[in-house]
Order: sequence, then structure tokens, then C-alpha cells
Amino acid sequence: MINLEILIIYKIFKLAFCSEFFKFIKRDYKLAKYYKNTFKNGGEKMKLTRRDFLKLSISSLVLSSFSLDLSSVKAYAKELRIKNAKEITTVCPYCSVGCSIIVYAKGGKVVATEGDPDSPINEGSLCPKGSSLYQLVNNPYRVLKPLYRAPYSDTWKEVSWDWALDRIAKLVKETRDKYFIHKDEKGRVVNRIEAIAHVGSAALDNEECYILQKLMRALGIVYIEHQARI
Amino acid sequence: MARKALLITPELCIGCRSCQVACKSWNQLPAEKTKNRGTHENPPDLSGSTYNKIHFIETTDAFGNLKWLFVSQRCRHCGDPACVQVCPVHALQQDKETGIVFYDKSICIGCRACSYACPFNIPRYDENGKISKCHMCIDRVKAGLEPACAKACPTGAIRFGDRDELIAQAKKEGFKYIYGEKERGGLGVIYALNEPPKVYQLVENPKVSEDVLALGELLRGLVKKGIPVDASIVRKFLGSKETLVRV
Repeated sequence: MINLEILIIYKIFKLAFCSEFFKFIKRDYKLAKYYKNTFKNGGEKMKLTRRDFLKLSISSLVLSSFSLDLSSVKAYAKELRIKNAKEITTVCPYCSVGCSIIVYAKGGKVVATEGDPDSPINEGSLCPKGSSLYQLVNNPYRVLKPLYRAPYSDTWKEVSWDWALDRIAKLVKETRDKYFIHKDEKGRVVNRIEAIAHVGSAALDNEECYILQKLMRALGIVYIEHQARI
Repeated sequence: MARKALLITPELCIGCRSCQVACKSWNQLPAEKTKNRGTHENPPDLSGSTYNKIHFIETTDAFGNLKWLFVSQRCRHCGDPACVQVCPVHALQQDKETGIVFYDKSICIGCRACSYACPFNIPRYDENGKISKCHMCIDRVKAGLEPACAKACPTGAIRFGDRDELIAQAKKEGFKYIYGEKERGGLGVIYALNEPPKVYQLVENPKVSEDVLALGELLRGLVKKGIPVDASIVRKFLGSKETLVRV
């Protein structure tokens, strides 16, 4: 303890005779002037006197020259956002690599998404598009209702799912009835429709592909394409 | 829990910026409207809603061949953080176990003293004037998870782990320069390089002026006395930023 006191005295003496000290005096004056100008009219707020400044800056100078760490060290205590959230794995909807993603849901809302470390494909990592999956759901610009643009119209209007699905079904039926080919020019039965095409996606899973293929073949569609080939 | 760190290997980075997106996704930060500046580097700078970003450097090697370097820019989580020492209200804190420099926005008074203190020019402020910077996903780290950027990185250019182990690993892999091993009390974000840090535009010998630390004490005294501290006083008191930080 005595050693420390001697050290402090030594430091103060050392500092008192170096230019640093005078620099601080100058600073005090600057600061005092600044406050005087700022709170000229208020008066009440101006509680700091010149003596206080001197005391403050000398103590600060001494402390800083010892490089004492005065910042209180605090342990972080805040709950994790995905704590107790339901984990659901999904396949990334973008490219055909098929990275696995964990979706964290709480009360029916998606709270976070991240790569699935158990997946042998991506081992927990993701590309920027896959990383952005969170905002695919939680996005003010997300389209929640079908939009319809009538022929020759230049504006989109919101329509109901029932209306949209009915219209699609109606048009498919009309087109199919009109252009259905029962037999080709050589008289062979072909039962096909060449006026409709289907474009699939790289992000469809096995089951979806199976159902789509069944539907398209049942309709007689032969132009069954894939997004990655276009 | 030993001191944690991120090991960044610019040579492995492909500049996909998955780390940037993962950071925004986890911290729920909004996007920024930017414009084409003739570079793929985007957004142009760290901000209140961008905690980390990849800095794209176009340079030439000794033979005149074009080299495109990608360096992760973010808070370095110094072992001896000047921002924590200067903060008058203890809004910035260093975690005892992991050495991560984190912050509490509800305490921050927006005096911007940390911005003056930081030798790496990292602290930024959100729309309310409160401190915002990389906090190494301390909420995740404390729960035993790795930070969002390290988790998302597809090439292993950002690795997370115990600091000593990461340094040993980088040395074993034969990197010539380990930036951040000694700087500022040992950085929490270590760069494994084969070329001098200057090539990657990293600050060599980052220094903090004694004045800044003294200012911290002074501000703390002012706060204790109930005198309002704001950005203007810091600016007025210290003069321009450049003359102070790069002493």
C-alpha cells in the first residue's frame, strides 16, 4: 500500500513537470469556457466550477497514466431469441443444391433461420440467398394474396384465392378442349395437348414433383420443362 | 469459458457476403438503400444497420497480375478496448469470460466518445444516435452457439473458437502474419495472412492516445455530477477526430 502511494506521488510529480499537465490545464479552460457559453442564460445547469475541472482532470490524468482499468466488467445476461423455439427443418427454396435450413418458430411465427449443421450438403453453412431466408417470411413487401392483371390492363388488383383458382381451372379446361389432339396425322392415338406448357422448379422436392408429373401427364401435357434448363 | 475469437482468412474468402446477410438476419437489421459505385462492395461502409461487411480491395501482385482481396471489416474486440475505457456511462462493456466487447443501447447517451477512441474507426450509431457495432453475437456465444457470420460462412474464411486454439491453428497452417495476436492487448478478431497487413488495408500498430483515456475519466466525472454529456462537448473538447486518433 505504501509502495503504491509513493508511486502515485512520483507519478504526479513527473506529470506536473511535463507538457501533458499544461495541456490539460488548457483543456480545462476550454471546457469551462464552453460550458459558460452554453449555459449562460440557464445559470442553474452550470454547476461545474473551475476547481472541479481541475480536480477532475488531474485525477483522470493520474489514473490514466497508471492505465488502471476502471471500466466495470460485467457478465452478459440476456436471453437467447431462439430459446424454447420449435425447430423445423426445411429445404432452401432457391437453387438446386438443396441446402437444409432450420426454421425457428415461436407461437406460429418465424423468429430465425439458419443452416442445418446435420445436413451433409451444407454442414450448417449457407450462401447469401439462403442466409436471407428470414426476410422471405417477415417482410412488409411479401405478397400475401393472389394478384391479377387483366388482359390489356396495366395494373394489378388483389383477388381471392377461390376466384384465381377457378379462373385458372376454367382457362385450362377451355384451352385443353380447344387444342386436344386425339390422333396424329398417321392415325395413331396420342391423346396430347401442345398448347399448354409447364415449368417446374429446382426447389421442388420428390413428392411435389411426383404430384405435378401425375397432374401434367393426366392432362396430356408434353412440354414439361424445368427452370434450370431455360 | 476461455477467451473467444474469430479467425479470418482472407485467402479463403470468396466474397459471397453470406456473413453480412446472416448478421442482418440474426440481428434483425434493416436493409440500406445503396447505389452502384462501380464496385461489388456493398454497402459502402459500416453503419447503424451494418455490423460487418466485406471490404473488396483491387490490387496487383509483384508480377503485375490483378488480385482481388476480400477482408472482413468489423469490431476487433480488443483485449484492451479503448471504447470501454472511454465510455462515461458503461454502456460499452467487455465480457469477463469471453472477452467480447458488447453494449447496452438503453444506457448509451450517444456522446460518441467511443468513436473518437477506437483506433479501427468502428463504432457507428443508429437512427436514435445509439451505439451499434458487431457484438460477436454474444447472445449466441453465451448459449454455446457460434456467431451467425461464422456459422453461415461456406468456405471457412471466418472460424470461431477459443482464441489460443485458433492462433495455434493458424500458425500450424503456416500463415506468415497473424494480425491481432499482440495488437491492443490481443484482438478478438484475428487475421491469418500470407502478405503484410498493409496489403489488406489493416491498421498497423493501432494506437490510442492518452488524451482519450483521460477524457473518459473526465466524462465520467461530468456524468456523476449530473451534467449532460453529448456529442458536441466531445467534439469541442477534442478537436477534429483525425488529429486525435492517429497520434
